[in-house]
Amino acid sequence: MDIYFVPCWRIKQSFFFPLSSYPVSRNPYLVPMQLLTPLALTLAALAVPIILLYMLKLRRKQETVSSTFLWRQLLREQQANAPWQKLKRNLLLLLQLLILAALVFALARPALQVPVVASGSVIVLLDASASMNAVDVNPTRFDSARDSVLDLINGLSPASSLTLILVAEKPQTLIAAETDKSLLRQALDNAQASQGSADWESAFALAAGAGSNSTFVIVSDGGLPESGLPALPGEVRFIPVGASQNNLAISALALRPAQKSPQLFAEVTNYDSADRNVLLSIYFNDQLIDARQLSVQANSSRSLTLDALSNESGIYKATITTPNSNNSLNSLNPPNSQSSINSLDSLPLDNTAFAVFQSSSSRRVLLVSNGNLFLEQLLASLPGIQPFRALPAADGTIQMPNDPFDLYIFDGVAPPELPKANLLFVNPSSNPLFEVGGTYNEFQNMQVDQHALTNFVDWSNVHILQAKTVQTPAWAETLIESDSGPLVFAGETKGQRIAALAFDLKESDLPLQIAYPILFSNLINYLAPPSAFDATRSLEPGESLSILPPSNAERIVVASPSDQAYTLALDQTVFTQTDELGYYAVNFISGDSNHVEYFAVNLFDEAESNISPRETIQIGRSTVTPTASQQIGQRELWSWLAALALLVLMIEWQVFHRRQIPSLPIFRNNLDAEKR
Amino acid sequence: MLFDESTLRKLNQLTLIASRIRSGAMKGERRSSRRGSSVEFADYRNYAPGDDLRRLDWNIYARLERPFIKLLEEEEDLAVHVLIDGSQSMDWGEGAQNKFQYALKLAAGLGAVTLASGDALTIGLLQQGKVASEFGPSRGGASLARLFRFLENLEPGGETNLNRAMRDYSIIPRRAGLVILLSDLFANDGYETGLRQLMGRGHEAALVHVLAPDELDPPLAGDIQLVDIETNQTQDVSLDGGLRERYRTRARAWIQSTQAECRKRNIRYLEAVTSQTWDHILLLEMRRAGFVK
Repeated sequence: MDIYFVPCWRIKQSFFFPLSSYPVSRNPYLVPMQLLTPLALTLAALAVPIILLYMLKLRRKQETVSSTFLWRQLLREQQANAPWQKLKRNLLLLLQLLILAALVFALARPALQVPVVASGSVIVLLDASASMNAVDVNPTRFDSARDSVLDLINGLSPASSLTLILVAEKPQTLIAAETDKSLLRQALDNAQASQGSADWESAFALAAGAGSNSTFVIVSDGGLPESGLPALPGEVRFIPVGASQNNLAISALALRPAQKSPQLFAEVTNYDSADRNVLLSIYFNDQLIDARQLSVQANSSRSLTLDALSNESGIYKATITTPNSNNSLNSLNPPNSQSSINSLDSLPLDNTAFAVFQSSSSRRVLLVSNGNLFLEQLLASLPGIQPFRALPAADGTIQMPNDPFDLYIFDGVAPPELPKANLLFVNPSSNPLFEVGGTYNEFQNMQVDQHALTNFVDWSNVHILQAKTVQTPAWAETLIESDSGPLVFAGETKGQRIAALAFDLKESDLPLQIAYPILFSNLINYLAPPSAFDATRSLEPGESLSILPPSNAERIVVASPSDQAYTLALDQTVFTQTDELGYYAVNFISGDSNHVEYFAVNLFDEAESNISPRETIQIGRSTVTPTASQQIGQRELWSWLAALALLVLMIEWQVFHRRQIPSLPIFRNNLDAEKR
Repeated sequence: MLFDESTLRKLNQLTLIASRIRSGAMKGERRSSRRGSSVEFADYRNYAPGDDLRRLDWNIYARLERPFIKLLEEEEDLAVHVLIDGSQSMDWGEGAQNKFQYALKLAAGLGAVTLASGDALTIGLLQQGKVASEFGPSRGGASLARLFRFLENLEPGGETNLNRAMRDYSIIPRRAGLVILLSDLFANDGYETGLRQLMGRGHEAALVHVLAPDELDPPLAGDIQLVDIETNQTQDVSLDGGLRERYRTRARAWIQSTQAECRKRNIRYLEAVTSQTWDHILLLEMRRAGFVK
């Protein structure tokens, strides 16, 4: 059923331009309205019992009075005075009929036909990447995108379903194929923008799995990869968000250990189309150590290198601000007031970056050996290593020292009970970790497997006299092998890093080769790392960090930039909650002592920092342009009608109440009292 | 019993007064405007042939040598006519507040006072536009028991037509005196013509307006149909607070206009609401209004 409403403000114009002169489909003055359940209009028949009841009620209660003399006089005057008295008498009936009409009409679910972007089965990909935090659209791009999706939800026709996918580092389906608008709105309300980059490929895979023959609506500021996105099985529509490209970012901040002191490298990139001056301030542990004004040309970068920095461990922070703000060189206070950062550009997230410098502490290594000159000399020459040696007793028993060591090297011997730490076996004897068999001396096709630990290891000139038969355990990877079996393997089990050489160094010419120090440096750095994790490089948001806790750690607590604490199990060595930008403190707690190391998460992502809104996006081989609202959606009006019914009900109650008051006994008593 | 002893004693002390003194058939206790045969001197007038020579003042004749007749005051009794509105609308009100019972008690009280002071009493019941039953004229305390019996047998009924009933009453020649009408005045044609007619016959008129309290302030609410007890006419009203208030105002205005009308015509008016005790009306309010001395 179509009812055509002419908005009242149009009526005057339609005197001059008769409505009939427009073809209906193009008539701009007609907003077609539909009743979704017109059958409900039959409920209007309820008006009949209401009127009947009213007529029954109008056979009024008879009250005998001594004379109607005065009443007739009074009513004659009344009716002469107010012709609407009759209407007033039927006011309750009119109000009740109005309530009924509003309720019946609400049940018939009238809906305005409004133009929307999509209808039917709709899959919405809502960009929640860092760039959506930009404030060029009030309040943020993400809120604006959310409003667009809300419009889409409100305009859904009842048969349409909607799937909402939030595209962040890990895309997630917030709600799948839902038709209930209130649930959809609730899911949309829960969506938050992340601080990382968006994984569009996974999101597209998720969307393609969610339904074919659907309409895919991408709500984004266009930070999609230029190529490599798979085509979606259906029509793709694009709702662009964003207005400005005004953004400057710290695109790199890195530390490098130089000869005497670490070196800091910082880079500022201007993504704006105008040249900009910025003040780059560098802080070390919240103390300003350098600030300089940089002039960055449009779409280019300026970099800065700082030498002769302190050798202490600490956190370097770089921020960019507008040069003429209060944050002058003399200012001692760090410019952490949000307004000054905001005023610089539209995306404040990437205006601050952190880098962590971890001065390496010496690692204690215990060599248990009957004497091995090659190993002793090697350990003595490696930097950052504090070597110790233990000799087995004459009867072959090994007295292990009580102090913990970062790494134990067992050369040809093994205690019956292995220490709970990182271990390196050279020419292994039988031990609980892996099987050791007899010796062999056939070495065909010795080869080095591609692995981080075998970088730059040249094995071509190495000869081995004899080796022990070992099996690479399931938790380890073979690094060097021959046809007869593995020669070197390494791996991690139950929080311990284990490596083994299957042969005696003295029975090979390896110590004479250039591969020897390289392989052992790699192995010892792997088994006894300078710190619990590699903090020199900052992480991307969402990137996981593998942590090797010190052997004496009892508990690991990671504090996020927003001071949220995550407690890690000791055998859980991967930390994944790196969604926030900033620096994280990793606390290794053993007894009363607490050892803290830091790592930083920075948004060094050009795709996110370059916030200039895109006109088109490239998906598969097709280019998608922003979509105008073409399809017809329906905006339901029943809630307004229900509200109207409630309002009229309240008025009706008030009217009824006012009439009934005098008959209440309490009032009658008052009247009697008055008379007395 | 309509009266108890103590009320009767009180009634005896009262005497009705009338501002204009009428001539009476018997010598009564009131001064008559007619010059008569009592001992009290009133005036002189010239002798006219045929005058009773016994009344010539010989002393004046001796002095002035002209005959003068000495006029003396004559005392006369008062004719009191109590007219009771016996229409159905008077049968309204519970128990002691019933307007007709109330009017009967007032009539009895007035009658008792009248009889006790030796005046002539006539009581008429006005029903259906005529005098339906009549008591008197009689005088003297001996008639009191008869009066009570008469009153106890009266029943209300029928429609009001005060004008016609009062004309009916005035057609029969009666001694001019004080006419007291006890009525609720719920009459479409009004009451003024009838009273005027009575006054034209030389009567002095007084009006006791008998009203029940719920006629002034009806305890009604909601959508109701009012049925007139007298005419069975119906009237639909939707009573809310506003209309009730307007009704109260209207009733008060009606009483006030009646009062003003009566004052203009030299009719004594008294409003008697049946929530007040009837002897209070008789002993206090009537005295205050000048009905009784």
